[in-house]
Amino acid sequence: MPDMQQRKRPKNLNLFTIRLPVNAIISILHRMSGMVLFLLLPALLWALNQSVQSAASYAALAAMLQHWLAKLFVIGLSCAFFHHFYAGIRHLAMDVHWMTSLQKARVSSRLVLCLDVLSVAAFAFVIW
Amino acid sequence: MLIELLTKKYPGMRLWLAQRFSAVVMAVYLVIFALLLLLKQPVGYEGWLELMSPWWWRVFTLLFFISLVMHAWLGVRDVFKDYIFNLGLRAVLQVLVDVLLIIYLGWAGVILWSI
Repeated sequence: MPDMQQRKRPKNLNLFTIRLPVNAIISILHRMSGMVLFLLLPALLWALNQSVQSAASYAALAAMLQHWLAKLFVIGLSCAFFHHFYAGIRHLAMDVHWMTSLQKARVSSRLVLCLDVLSVAAFAFVIW
Repeated sequence: MLIELLTKKYPGMRLWLAQRFSAVVMAVYLVIFALLLLLKQPVGYEGWLELMSPWWWRVFTLLFFISLVMHAWLGVRDVFKDYIFNLGLRAVLQVLVDVLLIIYLGWAGVILWSI
């Protein structure tokens, strides 16, 4: 009964016991932010269209973006954008064999996180 | 060596490079866009149109969207390959994404040349 034996094997796949290293966090966030940006592409194109169609549609879009919920949404989008941007530049740097040692990769990961936070904070400050 | 990697013998390398190249195009575009916003400080609808309407800027913006579609196509493809194991479902989703991206690109072109 190999089936029964297999079922009795102890399982230890409690994901909370596995802590992702900072490099892996940056990497998975790059992928997630990329998907978010892809999914929100139609919203971006719609906004671009509204902004150039006419003075009235521009004003309507500007008024809509004044709402605090819309601002919160745009700030959320900026999180995805800034992370994808900085982490992407980090990946490009690694593609040309720059900052590839483990120690340097950790430093650049932390740098990406810092730039994310600073950029989103600055962006939020400007639009609010 | 590099040239050989880009021949038909290694199609994956060309896709890999296309993803990097499109990323660089978008990064350059966005940095220039941010600088233009900072330098020109466009005000209202007229200012925004003035910023967006030069033909070379529209061409550059279309280039940005072409890169975006290329980049998103490759990126979403990788994500599907990693997480969707049912080949039929993956194929259907991939076609859906392909069609969407082509529509987005056409839409971007229409928007840019209606300015």
